[in-house]
Amino acid sequence: MTASHLVLLPTLLAAGMACAQDYLSCQLVPGWAQSGPKRQYTAENLYDYKDGAAEAYLSYGFTRMQGIDCKSGGTTLTIDVSEMNDADSAYGIFTANRDPRLPIARIGMGGQIQPQSALFAKGNHYVEIVAIDPNPNADHTAELRTFVTRMQERLEGRDTAPEALDWFPKDNLASTRLVPESVLGLKQLKRGYVATYKQGQAFIVLEASPESAAEVLKELRERFDGAFSVTVGDEAFQAKAQYLDGICIFRKGRYLGGYANLPAPQEAASQAAKLAASIP
Amino acid sequence: MKATTSRRDFLSAGLALPVLSAGSRMALWQSSENPIPSNPRPPAKLSYRTLGHTGLKVTTVGFGCMITSDPSVVQRAVDLGITYFDTARGYQHGNNERMVGAALGNKRKQVVLSTKTEARDKAGQLKELDTSLAELNTDYVDIWYLHGKNSPADIHDDMIEALQLAKQQGKARFVGISTHSGQQQLLPWMAQKGVFDVVLTAFNFSMDPGMEQAIDTAAKAGMGVVAMKVMAGGSRNQKLAQNGAMQAALKWVINHPNVATTIPSMTDMDQLEENLQAMEGAFSEGDHKLLAAHLERIQPFYCRMCGKCEGTCAKCLPVADVLRCLTYADGYGQFALGRERFLELGSEQVAVRCGDCAECTVKCPFGVQVSSRMARAQELFA
Repeated sequence: MTASHLVLLPTLLAAGMACAQDYLSCQLVPGWAQSGPKRQYTAENLYDYKDGAAEAYLSYGFTRMQGIDCKSGGTTLTIDVSEMNDADSAYGIFTANRDPRLPIARIGMGGQIQPQSALFAKGNHYVEIVAIDPNPNADHTAELRTFVTRMQERLEGRDTAPEALDWFPKDNLASTRLVPESVLGLKQLKRGYVATYKQGQAFIVLEASPESAAEVLKELRERFDGAFSVTVGDEAFQAKAQYLDGICIFRKGRYLGGYANLPAPQEAASQAAKLAASIP
Repeated sequence: MKATTSRRDFLSAGLALPVLSAGSRMALWQSSENPIPSNPRPPAKLSYRTLGHTGLKVTTVGFGCMITSDPSVVQRAVDLGITYFDTARGYQHGNNERMVGAALGNKRKQVVLSTKTEARDKAGQLKELDTSLAELNTDYVDIWYLHGKNSPADIHDDMIEALQLAKQQGKARFVGISTHSGQQQLLPWMAQKGVFDVVLTAFNFSMDPGMEQAIDTAAKAGMGVVAMKVMAGGSRNQKLAQNGAMQAALKWVINHPNVATTIPSMTDMDQLEENLQAMEGAFSEGDHKLLAAHLERIQPFYCRMCGKCEGTCAKCLPVADVLRCLTYADGYGQFALGRERFLELGSEQVAVRCGDCAECTVKCPFGVQVSSRMARAQELFA
């Protein structure tokens, strides 16, 4: 590090801190003014604000929320920034709340802007903006886009989606999300990524070690009568189940993955092999 | 039950209540090809109650779908005989309603389905109802709630008009309110108002004993009572989960005869089957001990924000507010937020030291050690 770097460092740090603190302001966009005080919630009292919807935030590792209302004319923008445990969790709550029928835009790690609402995640922050307008059909896309752009410029943290999402085969892929617990409704699959296809769904779960992943696979296999081994990844089984139809679950290193809800187990195994091949 | 009843008595009241299982039957046990759970546990006996004057027959354990991500769990619950399913327009921005609608499929009419609206006016509420019906893939919901109203002041006449219009149009068979707090004021008001069929209320073993009285008032007026937050913190209540008291907590609520059904949230097949088992037996001495021990652990520290200490401090401190600051720091690791809130109290109150009082005038009805907790807050933040 040179002397000039040392001189610049405090300035850069100060600038960084300022950026971190000014992302939640109505003044980001001219013509908007704050209405009422800033809101703050923690995991303890999020229910006071979100009612039962708080459960989902808590399941994704919610730690704190700050929010403001911005007013311009008859329109109010309710802006809430939730801080989650980590960037993956922030992306996770975004995927839970986004409309899976619409594409994800390149805003931070991912975002969506609709006529009356906008969502995006960046770093461990998850941002929601809702427009409240007397006209229920008003289109606030432009204002929302401006706020979102300025906020994401000021928020620090990761701006790429979790790497694991790229491992899912893209053919007929409808949407992806992070499920915070019980992937496929199975408690053994604690937390993982799920991809929904035109037919069937795939998942990837990261375990602590290859040994713990092997133990989970063994437990899962015992749940399915008639399960038999197939050659996918390091070890795998396929079965036909009442609610998950044709299913194949494999282990590759400390990853568990698989396909479910396909008409035949063989088809699930065939798709699972493609997924396993893409996991590094 | 009088409001002065102790918490131990409150727990015991649950213990003494008979189990209303006259309507029990064996669940339909799916024996078709490879059902997911290979757990050899025998099929659960289901118990039923009538949801107030709606006449709807519901299983005492229903299904709160709010955090369920995989439709297979909902499908399994239907097949096992659960009859009450709850969602809301606001859960995951509508994704939850879509999942529930898809999961129920052509079995939708076999169950009682409820959803909720958070819209702030009549037009918005009715628009949300139409969206809910579309997402749930149904022509009607059995119960439509105003979501999260905690005081009569939160409920305006046009909101009630929206509820009534939805009934007239056949889009909602019955209507009600969901509430997380303020029930002791809200439920009697609803009972008197006479326009609500059902109330969905937080209710669990850790709550103020006066809650039971409010529920009785609602039930006597013919309202169906649905209980939520029955696990006192849900599956994230790790201490409760660790000692196996989750089922005891659910049984405690079920054993209150004026509660028709409950909506624990469930995300997997094993939780579903465990919760179903809660319908089988009475709230036992063992259950009582588990919950009492849990309460004993949290009692000295856990402020329920009941407000009964308000105005009782000789130094005029807002005790509950200070204890909440401490909870931010001690309970959630949010020291900065706790301190920020504490300093907002104002310089006079921040300057008070509880150690200066010879005796504390504040007596918490739930046994929180107010003086020592306040002193800790002052030591941490002041």
